[in-house]
Amino acid sequence: MTLIEGTTETVEFGQLTVEVPAEAWVAAATAARDLGLDCFDWLSAVDELDRFDVVLAVYSVETKQRVRLRTRVGRDAPRLTSLVPVFAGAAWHERETHEMFGIDFDGHPGPAPLLLPDGFEGHPLRKDFVLAARVAKQWPGEKEPGGASARRRARPLGVPEGWEQA
Amino acid sequence: MSEREEWAQPELPPRSRGVIALLEENCTSCMLCVRECPDWCIYLDSHQETVEVPGGRPRQRNVLDRFAIDYALCMYCGICVEVCPFDALFWSPEHEYAATDVVELTHERDQLREWLGSVPPPPELDPAGPVPKEVAAARSQRAPG
Repeated sequence: MTLIEGTTETVEFGQLTVEVPAEAWVAAATAARDLGLDCFDWLSAVDELDRFDVVLAVYSVETKQRVRLRTRVGRDAPRLTSLVPVFAGAAWHERETHEMFGIDFDGHPGPAPLLLPDGFEGHPLRKDFVLAARVAKQWPGEKEPGGASARRRARPLGVPEGWEQA
Repeated sequence: MSEREEWAQPELPPRSRGVIALLEENCTSCMLCVRECPDWCIYLDSHQETVEVPGGRPRQRNVLDRFAIDYALCMYCGICVEVCPFDALFWSPEHEYAATDVVELTHERDQLREWLGSVPPPPELDPAGPVPKEVAAARSQRAPG
């Protein structure tokens, strides 16, 4: 039995995860709340490169049950309907998700940046965001043992190609 | 105001990660620790020297010029200690090295050597664990085949 039309339920890491179509996002959150999952835990997103997954974690104070709701939004102009009318506590989490991932939440009462300083450009939790600390500093591992010249240039782990300073 | 209590040394659990010590003699300047370090806090410079071997051809060996760990960046993950193939890096429980200037947190090779003094002996083997390979091999050799 599924909560809402079009949702699929899986158990991930021992926790029930409900995949929700973006159109049913508010309806699913409302249904979850009305089923007794009345405590808003957190909301955030995951950059999956071809899309963003927005994740909502809810909790039942009575049965101590945790459920995650997850939906997909496209990477170009990502937007989703705000959950603030359902869970007032979602306001700050959506502000943070907005500034960190650049996802717009329609109907959010005040989507101003929450944590980033004024004038900050870009969305730091997107995977294509270039980390200044990795660009400004030279990688100490570039040197070869014994100061030899490298046959093949070593590359820092986890730093995408093309981040080096010109 | 009450009198400040005498600072008592905390009882540290085994395998406490306080600071990393360098046994320079074991280091071959292979750069593995530098390259594995997730936050780029190890600096290593080396050069090659030719060593004459009596009765053999001369060999090249790496000579360490600089080895430094920036504890302002280090996140105490211990990957460098794990990855070192020659056991040149060791955890020491020594943790009282706060500094008033951030540059003092970059410990150069002489300071990293001093930390060796507080490196504890390796912990006893777990009595419930598997028999060490060497012991198992020795036993099987001694056993009548």
